[in-house]
Amino acid sequence: MLSHFLLMVVYALIVSLFFTVLWRRERREQVKLFLQIFLGMVLGGLVVAWLMYPFPSGPPAPIP
Amino acid sequence: MAETGSTSAAQPAPQAARPQGNPIVAVLSAWLVPGLGHVYLKRHLRGLIFFVLVIASLAIGCSLEGKLYVVERGQPLTILATLGSMGMGFPYFLLRYGLHYKGNIMGAGFEYGTAFLLTAGLMNLLLVLDAWDIVRGKKE
Repeated sequence: MLSHFLLMVVYALIVSLFFTVLWRRERREQVKLFLQIFLGMVLGGLVVAWLMYPFPSGPPAPIP
Repeated sequence: MAETGSTSAAQPAPQAARPQGNPIVAVLSAWLVPGLGHVYLKRHLRGLIFFVLVIASLAIGCSLEGKLYVVERGQPLTILATLGSMGMGFPYFLLRYGLHYKGNIMGAGFEYGTAFLLTAGLMNLLLVLDAWDIVRGKKE
């Protein structure tokens, strides 16, 4: 359960399902919006991760 | 213009679409239990789906030992985060006062869990607004 990618996908799944049911009533529009949000979040996350890849992670943050 | 007026007089406002419900009860129930406001407004399936989604987010957040926000001194942003988390209604108070849940900053999934917990609260706040719109007849 601690795979970063899996957690990101689960998060995107919950959020996209939520907004799909909240904002759309017709099945076809629901599928369209679901795919837009879900793929946008997952692919957007991968793009951001790819862009951040060259940067070093640095030392761990201090625990408050 | 006169024709338009007579047409609107002949066709009453679509009050049949407006559910019969008390706005205060709808909003309060929507806040207390995720999806209950929609069930109260006869949107049973939608209410069930919202309940499952919010509780799933909450359960995943807890299993990852995420942070359940409380107001911290000198940290004004925690006020907003706490209000957002309180949006989940009864589960927030159950976790905080009933189960004394705090999260574990040393947990491997702490940051993810915090995001899931905060998202559960924010999603339920949107459900409260949605219930309000439905009961006021602004939304189906």
